[in-house]
Amino acid sequence: MATRMKLKLKTVFVLYFMVSLMGLVYALMQLGQRCDCTEHDMPKDRTISRLRGELHRLQEQMRKSEATKQPQKQPLKPTPLPIIYVITPTYARLVQKAELTRLSQTFLHVPQLHWIVVEDSPHKTPLVTDLLVKSGLTYTHLHMPTAKDRKMQEGDPSWLKPRGVEQRNEGLRWLREDRRAQPGGDNQQGVVYFADDDNTYSLQIFEEMRNTMRVSVWPVGLVGGMKYERPVVEGGKVVRFHTGWRPSRPFPLDMAGFAVSLKLVLTNAEACFDGEAPMGFLESSFLQGLVTMDELEPKADNCSKVLVWHTRTEKPKMKREEALQAQGLGSDPAVEV
Amino acid sequence: MPKRRDILAIVLIVLPWTLLITVWHQSAIAPLLAIRKDDGVERRREAGGQAQDSKEYCASDKDIVEVVRTEYVYTRPPPWSDVLPTIHIITPTYSRPVQKAELTRLANTFLHVPNLHWILVEDSQRRTPLVTRLLRETGLNYTHLNVETPRNYKLRGDTRDPRIPRGTMQRNLALRWLRETFNANSSQAGIVYFADDDNTYSLELFEEMRSTRKVSVWPVAFVGGLRYESPKVNAAGKVYGWKTVFDPHRPFAIDMAGFAINLRLILFKPQAYFKLRGVKGGYQESSLLRELVTLNDLEPKAANCTKILVWHTRTEKPVLVNEGKKGFTDPNVEI
Repeated sequence: MATRMKLKLKTVFVLYFMVSLMGLVYALMQLGQRCDCTEHDMPKDRTISRLRGELHRLQEQMRKSEATKQPQKQPLKPTPLPIIYVITPTYARLVQKAELTRLSQTFLHVPQLHWIVVEDSPHKTPLVTDLLVKSGLTYTHLHMPTAKDRKMQEGDPSWLKPRGVEQRNEGLRWLREDRRAQPGGDNQQGVVYFADDDNTYSLQIFEEMRNTMRVSVWPVGLVGGMKYERPVVEGGKVVRFHTGWRPSRPFPLDMAGFAVSLKLVLTNAEACFDGEAPMGFLESSFLQGLVTMDELEPKADNCSKVLVWHTRTEKPKMKREEALQAQGLGSDPAVEV
Repeated sequence: MPKRRDILAIVLIVLPWTLLITVWHQSAIAPLLAIRKDDGVERRREAGGQAQDSKEYCASDKDIVEVVRTEYVYTRPPPWSDVLPTIHIITPTYSRPVQKAELTRLANTFLHVPNLHWILVEDSQRRTPLVTRLLRETGLNYTHLNVETPRNYKLRGDTRDPRIPRGTMQRNLALRWLRETFNANSSQAGIVYFADDDNTYSLELFEEMRSTRKVSVWPVAFVGGLRYESPKVNAAGKVYGWKTVFDPHRPFAIDMAGFAINLRLILFKPQAYFKLRGVKGGYQESSLLRELVTLNDLEPKAANCTKILVWHTRTEKPVLVNEGKKGFTDPNVEI
C-alpha cells in the first residue's frame, strides 16, 4: 500500500512539474511576439493619441486655409513653388549664434526654402548643428575651411581679403551634385541666392526672386559707401549700375543683390567664385560666365525699392571678459553664447 | 532522512512559479491571454479605425514614442489665443539709416510669437511714414506712439555717453499708455518686455517670459564687456546677486533686455517709471525695478539662468562716404 501511495505522489509531482514547465514556456513564447497596442486599456495613452490626431487634423486645416488665403499670388499653379536655395557661409565668432538665429527666424517665413549653411571650419561644429536642427528649416549643413593664406587675421579690415569664397563654391558643388541625381536633370525649377549671415532680408525679396529665369537683380541698401546701390533700368532692361565705387566693373553688384536660376547653375558646371579676383570683383567673377548685362531681370519694381540691407554687426567689446580670463575667472565656457 | 530529496522537490515546485510571476509582472501577458478567449472580430474593427495612430504612436511598454513631426505652417502672425497672456513689447526707435532694416528683422522675429502686441515708440516730433507703413505691412498687432526727446537730453553725434539715457522718454510714454489703456481690475493677463531694436531674440525667450508672475530675469549676452551677464541663482531657485564686473552692487545689475514685468504689477504701481534725470550709467533699469520688486521676488528663467536666449547685438553704423555732401542717391528711395 505504501509503495502505491508513493508512486502516486511521484507521478503527481512529475505531472505538476511538466504542466508548470509547459505553462512557463508558453508564456515566454508570448513575450517574444509583437505588442498589440490597441488592446491596451490604458486611457492615458488613448487620449494622448487622440489629441495628437486632433493636432494633425487642425494643422491640415490651417495649411488648407493658408493655401486658399493667397489665391492672388499663386493662381491655380499645379506645380509646387520653385525652391529657393540659400547659400550662407558662416564662421565661428561671438555673434555667430545670434546672427544665425535671427536669420533662421526670417527664413522660417519663406515657403520652399532650402538653407545651405557652409561653415568655415575643418569640421561641423555642435553650435551650428544644434541650431539647424532646432530651427525647423529644411537645411543642408556643410563645411569647408578657408585656405590659410586667404584667411583674415585678427586686425585685418573687412575689405582686405575676399571672404566666403571656398564656402560658397562648396555650396555650389554640393547643390550641383545633389540636383544631378534628381529626376528632371538640368530643367529643374529653383533659384540660388547667396545670403551672408549678417545682412537683413525682407520677406518680399524671396518672392521677387522666386521666378528668376536666368539672373535677377535688385537694389541693396547700405552698401558701397552709399545708402543703396542699384541697377538702373530703362525699358525693362538693365542699362548700367548706380554705384559710387568702381562702376566700371562688369557686375558692380553686391552678393546680396542678385539670384541665379538653378538651371543656369546646373548647365554651367564650372561657374564659381574666383578667390584670386581683385577686390570687389568677386561677384563679377561668378556672373561673367553666366549672363550678359542685357539678359539681367530687374526685380523690386524695376529696381526702385530696397528690400535687402547690407547690415554689419559690431564686434562685442570683451575687455572685461579678457581681464577676467587673465585672472582665471572667466565666464563659464560651457554656457553657449 | 530524505532531506535533500525534499528540498529538491520544493525547489522544483517553486522555481517555475517564481519565474512565471516575474514575467507576468513585466509585460502584457495577462491581457493577451485573456483576449485570446473573446471574439477577436470586434477588436479587429476597432484596431482598423485607429490603425494609423497605432502605427505612429504605438505605446511600447512604458512610454510613448515621439514620432510627431510638426511641419511649419506659414500663417503670419499666428492666430490669437484666448488662453495665452499677451506679451507687450516696448521698443523705442529713432531715425537713422539702419532703422528700417532693424525694424524689418525684428518684425520677422515677432511674427513667430503668438499673442504679441508691439508698442513702437518713435523718438520724433511726428510719426514717420516709414515706420507707419512698415508696421501696417507686417500684419502684427501694434500700437504706434511717438515722443521727441528734448535736444539737451539727446546723444550728441557719436559720443557714447552713458549718463544720458537713450529711449527713456519713449519707454515711459509706453508705460503711461499701458496704464491708460488697461484697467487694473481687468483679467487680461499681460507681460511687459523692453526690446531694443538692434538686439537679437530667440523665440524660446518669449515662451519663458510668458509665465512671469511679478518680474522674471535671465542672462543677456554681450553686455558689460563680458560674454554674458547673468543673475546669481542659489540652490533654492532665488536670485541673490549679479554676476557682472561692471558695478555688481547696483540694486538690479541687469540689462534692459534681461527682465520682463507682469502687466498687473505695472498697473498696480502707477507711479513707477524710469528715472529721467540724474541717473548714473547702468542704473536705468534699477530706477524702475526698485519701485516694483525686491530681489527676493525675482523669478529666474532660462533654466535657472544658465541659457542664453537674448543677445545684445549692436549694428555698425554704415559708412556713407560716397554719398558726398549733396547726396549721390535718390532721396525718394526709402532705405
